[in-house]
Amino acid sequence: MGKNGSGKSTFSKVLAGHPDYEVTGGSVVFKGESLLDMEPEERSLAGLFMSFQSPVEIPGVNNIDFLNMAYNARRRKLGLPELGPIEFYAYLFPKLELVNMKSDFLNRNVNEGFSGGERKRNEILQLAVLGAELAILDEIDSGLDIDALQDVAKAVNGMLTPKNAVLMITHYLRLLEFIKPTFIHIMENGRIVKTGDISIAKTLEKEGYKAISAT
Amino acid sequence: MSASAITPQIRTPITVKAKIKHKQKQKSMSFSLSTTPITQASFSDPFVLQLAETLEDSLSPSVSLQKLRDSSSESLLSTSWPSRKDEPFRFTDTSFIRHSQIIPIIKPPQLDYSPSINEDTLLPNLVIADGFVLNSMSNLSNLPDGVYVGAHDMTVVYVPAGVKVENPIHLKYVSVEGGEEGSKKLPVSNPRVFVVVEEGGEVGIIEEFVSKEGNDDKYYWANPVLEVVIGKGAKVRHSYVQSQSLNSAHIKWTAVRQEAASTYELVEVSTGGKLSRHNLHVQQLGPDTATELSTFHLSVGDQTQDLHSRLILDHPRGHSQQLHKCIVAHSQGQAVFDGNVKVNRYAQQTDAGQLTRSLLLEPRATVNVKPNLQIIADDVKCSHGAAISDLEETQLFYFLARGIDLETARKALVFSFGAEVIERLPNSFMQKQVESHVKGLLSSTFKGSSN
Repeated sequence: MGKNGSGKSTFSKVLAGHPDYEVTGGSVVFKGESLLDMEPEERSLAGLFMSFQSPVEIPGVNNIDFLNMAYNARRRKLGLPELGPIEFYAYLFPKLELVNMKSDFLNRNVNEGFSGGERKRNEILQLAVLGAELAILDEIDSGLDIDALQDVAKAVNGMLTPKNAVLMITHYLRLLEFIKPTFIHIMENGRIVKTGDISIAKTLEKEGYKAISAT
Repeated sequence: MSASAITPQIRTPITVKAKIKHKQKQKSMSFSLSTTPITQASFSDPFVLQLAETLEDSLSPSVSLQKLRDSSSESLLSTSWPSRKDEPFRFTDTSFIRHSQIIPIIKPPQLDYSPSINEDTLLPNLVIADGFVLNSMSNLSNLPDGVYVGAHDMTVVYVPAGVKVENPIHLKYVSVEGGEEGSKKLPVSNPRVFVVVEEGGEVGIIEEFVSKEGNDDKYYWANPVLEVVIGKGAKVRHSYVQSQSLNSAHIKWTAVRQEAASTYELVEVSTGGKLSRHNLHVQQLGPDTATELSTFHLSVGDQTQDLHSRLILDHPRGHSQQLHKCIVAHSQGQAVFDGNVKVNRYAQQTDAGQLTRSLLLEPRATVNVKPNLQIIADDVKCSHGAAISDLEETQLFYFLARGIDLETARKALVFSFGAEVIERLPNSFMQKQVESHVKGLLSSTFKGSSN
C-alpha cells in the first residue's frame, strides 16, 4: 500500500522489465538468479507474473490465440510439446469458470472494447492459465463491482499454494478482506517504510496515511 | 473551384459510358494543368499515341462502341503519359510500364487447368481470364430470378429492384499470359465490369485478382475497371482482393455512384503487383447515403502499393468512414495514399471520418500519405488522422510480459495490424484465404530479415 505516486506501480513494472525504466543501481534476485539480467519474457518464463493496471488493447489478436501463444511459450520452456487450439481449449475451459468468464471472451480481441472489470478478469485468467511463483497484481480491485471483486478474489485464493506468492497493490481494505494478506508493506518515496499485519490497513482506512507517517 | 467543376456531373443525367469519357477528360485536364511546360499540353505524347494505336488495332469492331471509342481516342490526343511532375503521380513511378513492350491480349487463353474457385461454398462465380469471360469455368446457377450476370462488350451484373442476392457473386480474374524476366514484354488485359443494383436491391461482389497458378513471377499488366451504380436504398458489399505477380502492373479503377439512402461497403486487400494502383471514386448522389471504405495494402518486396481515393459528398446526412492501413516490409517497398474527401455545400450534417495508419518495418521503407478533407458545408462532423510508426512498444511489452518471445510477438502484431481490415471481409472463406496468404507473405519477410 502507499500513497499515489509513492512508487508501487513503478516498482512492479521495473520487476517485470518494462522498457520505460532503466535500472541504474541495486540488484534483484529471483529464485537465486539476477532478475535484472533477464529479458522481460525470460522473467515471465521464470515464474514472475505482473497484472497490468490498465491492460493495453491489442486489436486483431484473438484472446484465445494470445493465451495459446503464451501457454505454448511456457510449455516450450519446460520441454513439453505445444498444445494445438483444440487441446488448449480443453485446458482453458475450466479456468474460465474459475474467473467466471463466458467463453465468447476468447474470440474477442485482447482487451479490445473490454470493460474495466473484464480487463481485470482477463488478467487473472492469464495468471490462471500461465501460473506463477510470484504474481504481482497491480490494483486488481480498481474499477471492479462487488461481484467481480469476489470472483477475482476467489480465483486468486484458489491459486495460492505453499509454493507461490502473491503481491498485491491496493488502496482499499475491502480486497484484503477477501484475500487475507500475510504482510502489509507501506511504500513511501520508493521505499518500504512500514511492515505489519492487516491492522495497518485498518488504521489506514480509518485515519489515512497521516497516521502511518506519524508513527 | 474544383467543387463546382464536379457539380454538373451530378446534376446532369448522363449515361455510364459518357461518364467514363467525362472522367478521362477530367483526368487529362488536371494533367495539363499541373504540368508546368505550356508546350506539353498542346503536343501529343508519342508513347500514349502509340499505345492507343496498338490497343485500337487489337480491338474487334463494334458498332455500338464505335462512338465512345472515337471520343476516347480524341481525349488521348491531349493526354500525356503521367510523370512524377504530375500531382496524382508524384510518388508513383510508372516507368516500369513505360519502358516495356505492351502487347494487348487479343484472344482468350487456352486454359489447361481450372482456376480454383472454392468448391465448398458454391458461390455464383465468373472466371475472367486475361479480360475474357470463360463461361465454361463459371457457375451462375443459384441466382435469384431477374438477376443477370453475363458478358458481351463488357461484363454486367444486374440486380433488379428489391432483389436481395443472398450469396455474393465471385468474379475471379486470372492473368494467364505473361512475359518472362528480361523479355520486356508486358501483355495487357483490360477487363471491365459494370454493376447495377436497382432500388432496394442488395448484392455482394467479390473481385479476386490472381495469376495463373505457377505464374507468380510473370510480367503482365492488368488494367481493370469496375463501375458500380447503386440505386435508392440499395446496398453493395464489395470485396477486392489483389494478389497478382510481384512483377506485374495492376492499375485498377473503381467508380461508384450511390443514390439516396444507399450503402456501399468496400474491403480491399492488395498484396501483389510490382506497381499496384487503385483509383477509387465514390460519389454520393442523394441524402442519407453511407459509404464505408476499408483498405489494407502490403508491400513485402520491391513494390509500390498505391491508393488514390476520392469521395464526394453533396447531399445532407451523408455518412462515410474510411480506414486505410498499409505495411511496408521491404527496404525498397513503397506505399502511397492520397485520400480525398469532399464535403460540398449541401452536404450538411455529414459524418465523415478518415484514418490512415502505416507500419514501416524496414529501414528506407517508404510511405507517402496525403489525407485531405475539403469541407465547404458548415454543419458537419469530420475527422481525419494519419499515423506512421513501427510497432507499439506497450503492445509488444504486453506479449513479452507473458513470456512470448519478441519475434513471435512482432509477427502477431504485424499480422494483427492488417487483420483489422481483413476481418471486415464479409465472407469467411475469403477471409481465411486472405489471412493465410498475408501470413505467408509476412513470414517470408521475417525469415528474410533474420538472415
